[in-house]
Amino acid sequence: MSAFFHQLVYFARTALRGLRASPVTSAVSIATIAVAVIPLGGLLVITGNMRALLDAYGRERHLTAFLDPQLADAQAEALARHVGALAGVAHVELVSREQALERFRKRLGGSALLEALEENPLPASLEIALRPEDRSAERVRAVAAAIEKLPGVDEVAGGETWIEGYARALALVRGAGAGLGAVLAFATLLVVANTIRLAVYARRDELEILALVGASRTFMRTPFLIEGVVQGALGGAIGLALLYGAFRVVVPQLGDALELFLGWSDPSFLSARGMGLLIGGGAAFGLVGAAIAVARTRIS
Amino acid sequence: MTGPGPAAPTARPPAGRRAGDPLIRLFHVSKSYGASFALRDVSLEVRKGEMVFLTGPSGAGKTTLMKLLFAAERPSEGQILVLGRNVGRLRESGIPALRRRVGVVFQDFKLIATRTVEDNVALALEVRGRPPREVRAKSFAMLKRVGLQHRRHQHPPSLSGGEQQRVALARALVNEPAILVADEPTGNLDAALTLEIMDLVAAAAARGTTVMVATHDQALIRRYARRTLRLDAGRLVEDLPAGGAR
Repeated sequence: MSAFFHQLVYFARTALRGLRASPVTSAVSIATIAVAVIPLGGLLVITGNMRALLDAYGRERHLTAFLDPQLADAQAEALARHVGALAGVAHVELVSREQALERFRKRLGGSALLEALEENPLPASLEIALRPEDRSAERVRAVAAAIEKLPGVDEVAGGETWIEGYARALALVRGAGAGLGAVLAFATLLVVANTIRLAVYARRDELEILALVGASRTFMRTPFLIEGVVQGALGGAIGLALLYGAFRVVVPQLGDALELFLGWSDPSFLSARGMGLLIGGGAAFGLVGAAIAVARTRIS
Repeated sequence: MTGPGPAAPTARPPAGRRAGDPLIRLFHVSKSYGASFALRDVSLEVRKGEMVFLTGPSGAGKTTLMKLLFAAERPSEGQILVLGRNVGRLRESGIPALRRRVGVVFQDFKLIATRTVEDNVALALEVRGRPPREVRAKSFAMLKRVGLQHRRHQHPPSLSGGEQQRVALARALVNEPAILVADEPTGNLDAALTLEIMDLVAAAAARGTTVMVATHDQALIRRYARRTLRLDAGRLVEDLPAGGAR
């Protein structure tokens, strides 16, 4: 155990010495990984926000029932209670005409168009959340039909048509991300593998000497694997930092457009898990690249 | 440093092996590269604590024989037993364990130029995963033995040839190997430095290490008067005992 620990210390020292010995090639390798991480991380940010929107939608609103404008408040409340008791309904929220107008105003940011209105044109509505087991497109349609038949309900908007489109767009972005990821991962592996190969060649005299004094193959190879991991993790962390910088600069500039086209009112950056995934992924690619390099280079 | 005569008694005989037992045995060993033979039907034994010179003209097979002893080459025919291990059948994973017990010194020193003298010596202990404190203590003690403790923080290129070979010798001996193999260790050194190195090698033999030195320096062989094996065109043509007529 202690021999293992002492060797670990030796490996780490040797790996760092290796990185310092060839700073330019190491920097190129790290930069390549960073450059590959930026678009991949960007796609993760986009899909993450799309997913969050879908999830929020799934949690909060599945159906909206627009009520007859003639309906009194007490009747609307009674209707809400009735709908809340229907099979498949998890939760109902009554949005009064005033609340609807207030929301609309907020969203448009005090438009002159609204100021010109003499009367509130918006109906009251019920925002209906369904139980998780009743969220399939089929069940949503069935529940919507049942609600639509109730007296006092003018129209039920399912929302499932845009939600399906949105879900398809998310799948498309994910697919494109996976494809781009595969290409970038391959390029990254090649660069890391070549960098480590150069490092192996640069130190072949040293490796020959190590072999002569009785170093095992694992002993000779491990520092190169650690070098790969360090390069990968550093590249991942630098790429992530650059991506975060870009996120902070770009998102405020595009705020309104993002809200209008994608429905993101407050886009979030990657979760801790997502960030760990990028850095860990960088490290993993560094390790695999280094493993390819040492496997293809004769060390004995 | 040490006089001629029978090998000094061993300080620490390995378990199950009596002092004087053969540590190196070759049975009809040949080594060929394609159609040309580097060694042809060589049989010999070297006992524990013996110091043996291996001599012969260039291309006689001295280096090949040395390489067979630390498994840098495998025999084409015949059997080689080093420390009881059959080198011809040794798996690749078994080579490091053998090399940790066979110290090797070369004519061109084979030191890592980018590491300090102390680090070069320490390497032989580090590959065995020895604790840093032990590595430092043993490296220092070994450098002191070869008279280079004051140079331990310098890098090999700043040392003279003789000093570099002393570092290489320190690295080869720091693990207290059972066998020391030295291939033309003084080939790059002048007469005074040659004796300095050879005295250290003979001192290792006096401590119980089995030593094989390849050299074509006949003056050296006469001076130390040890058993001498002569190779010619890959064949063992002469095996003179210590102090034997030449």
